[in-house]
Amino acid sequence: MGITVLCVLSLLGLLAYGFSRDPRYIPSPLIGQPAPSFRLTLFDGRSLGLEDLRGKVVFVNFWASWCPPCLEEARELEAIWREVKSDDVVFLGANIQDKEPDARAFLQQFRISYPNGWDPAGRIAVDYGVWGIPETFFIDPQGTITYKHVGVLGRPVVIAKLDEARRRVVSTEEGKGAYQAIR
Amino acid sequence: MPKKLFQLPTLLVLLCFFIPASLHAQPADLEDQVRAIAAELRCPVCQNLSVADSPSELAQQMRAMVEEQLKAGKSPQEVKAFFVSKYGDWVLLAPPASGFSLLVWILPYVALAGGLIFVFFLLWRWSRRKPTGSTAQADPDLIQRIHKELVADDSWEVDPEAEGPRAPLMRERARLYAALRELEFDYQAGRLSKTDYDELRREYEEQASAVLKDLDAAPPAIREEASPAHRAGGKAKAEPAAARAPRRWTFVATSAFLLIFGVTLGILLDRSVRPRGSSEDSITGDFLTGTGGTGGAPLPAVGAGSLQDLLAEGRAAFERQDWPRAIDSFKQVVAMDGDNPEAHAYMGLILAGAGHADAAMLAFNRALSRNPDYPLALWGSGMVLYRQKSEPEAARERFEKLLALLPPGADKDQLRETLLELGQGAAKPSAPPPVPRSGPGAGMAGMQDMTASAPGSVTGTISLAPGLEAGSGNRGVLFIIARAAGSQGGPPLAVKKIERPAFPVSYSLGQENTMIPGTQFRGEVNITARLDRDGNPVTQEAGDLSGAYSANPVNVDTQKTVDIVLGRGNP
Repeated sequence: MGITVLCVLSLLGLLAYGFSRDPRYIPSPLIGQPAPSFRLTLFDGRSLGLEDLRGKVVFVNFWASWCPPCLEEARELEAIWREVKSDDVVFLGANIQDKEPDARAFLQQFRISYPNGWDPAGRIAVDYGVWGIPETFFIDPQGTITYKHVGVLGRPVVIAKLDEARRRVVSTEEGKGAYQAIR
Repeated sequence: MPKKLFQLPTLLVLLCFFIPASLHAQPADLEDQVRAIAAELRCPVCQNLSVADSPSELAQQMRAMVEEQLKAGKSPQEVKAFFVSKYGDWVLLAPPASGFSLLVWILPYVALAGGLIFVFFLLWRWSRRKPTGSTAQADPDLIQRIHKELVADDSWEVDPEAEGPRAPLMRERARLYAALRELEFDYQAGRLSKTDYDELRREYEEQASAVLKDLDAAPPAIREEASPAHRAGGKAKAEPAAARAPRRWTFVATSAFLLIFGVTLGILLDRSVRPRGSSEDSITGDFLTGTGGTGGAPLPAVGAGSLQDLLAEGRAAFERQDWPRAIDSFKQVVAMDGDNPEAHAYMGLILAGAGHADAAMLAFNRALSRNPDYPLALWGSGMVLYRQKSEPEAARERFEKLLALLPPGADKDQLRETLLELGQGAAKPSAPPPVPRSGPGAGMAGMQDMTASAPGSVTGTISLAPGLEAGSGNRGVLFIIARAAGSQGGPPLAVKKIERPAFPVSYSLGQENTMIPGTQFRGEVNITARLDRDGNPVTQEAGDLSGAYSANPVNVDTQKTVDIVLGRGNP
């Protein structure tokens, strides 16, 4: 009798635990790890590698023109960039799973001035374990990922996490907002 | 006894679950290896599919990366480790057998073992249960004595090393008394139900009273060797064992049944699940669902050889004007090979013959979509366009294309004539399309006689040989068959089918009865007739009658009357 109750309760507990979790959410093993190196071909023709940015706080944002949450945050990101732009902070946009004309139109529409490039074979996206966009990584001056955020970013989070990255504080948890699963 | 018995089956059943995993061999070439690795990775986008099965862009990119890394000389473990380093253990469809995930691997087996132990425990208890009312009531006096002795003291306890004629009986008594005491204790502690307690107690008491009886009967002091008490002791022991023997059999039999059931289930499950052969393939199949592992073909059990067989069957049915059977065969071909030009062309001919011009055109066009130069479809669609749809220009296009394809010969000349006729028809309004008379054959025959400029024909009567008239008339199907003289096998030149003939039958055979579009009923032919009992000309039955024209071959251009007498035996 007692054993039956115990079995049923533990199964119910397991069920409740399962329901409390987002099955689509993929926890990243990359926070606190060295950021995978990459080289982006920028839309203005230049090429930019992560190695070139050592000593700076790097903000890497994965996006696509077909992703509504990316549209949502684009204007604000550009505004934050204009505000924090300095010698030791770099914003980088990595366009994934997109068509070049669409991506260019997107950049044009939001007058985005920080460097943006594309990842045609999805290599960088997989290197960073990207699964839902916008997905943003904060990388400290030594090249360690301090924070990852899936979904739309707000100004307070960006400012706080840029500051933490500058101080090399690694977050214990990743952030989450409205996101769009990639294709 | 019970312990040993339920260890062995448990192990065997567990083994059955472990063996299948080791039976699947490692893939050899790169593509298989990529697929094998991708099948173990969870697609981050669709989540319920493996990277191998997912059609998503990301999964495609991941597959490409797996291939690239394998080509670079990485081992499958290293490739998987790469993806784990990016997406965590989450990306593995089979979680690693360590840490918390280890539970996932262990729990099913724990549950299985627990379940088996539980079942065998129940069985064991059940097999020990007494058949109700089978044994005689024990002596109430002896029972009374047992109760007294049990409560009184421990004087019944014996030294296990003790020797002597009565020692085995004393030990048995001590064992039963101890068991009774324990039973009482368990019952008081609430660990036993009332029914179980009563049953076990009665059993022990009966055994104990038997032992007491033997003890009383045994003489107190006799030499150890060959003492009757010794024998009595042996008998006392043997009795309960003998009483229990049939129950032991039920236990063994049930265990064996469960074991066989488990083994069979394990084997069946393993054989009904298989690795996916392709992305369209399913993991279930073989004998459970009846589908084989050829990767999604609708009728995978039928090979390419039988496709040809079906086509031949369809052609044969077409030739003997067995439309339902022909349609059935060609439909089966289409089910296996969706664009088979021959099947579609024949379907088109059948449809055209039945007067369904639009459907026929669809079929011809389908055949032409696979093979734009397929002569039968070109000819058939040309005929439909010309005769049934009154589109001579479109028909001319098809005929001209066919003309360019045909090798020089009678067919080509004949087609030229048709084209010429078409040219005249285009100048003046073409003849009205033929009204289908009855059944597909009639319409088609009207179509076919178009191609003949001066067809020959024969008429005559078919009668039965003397002595066969009785009971033969008005039953079965009569086939009148004309084959070109000198042709061996292959389709006949022309066939006429008369159902339920009333002998003697008058018939006429001519261009309208030709089997293959474009052929002409002329020249030297052999004419035979057959009365088929069941209407299926492929099979020969005992009652079938046949006959041939006595002066075969016949030149149908000159001779007009051909009479045939049917008899038993082959023409």
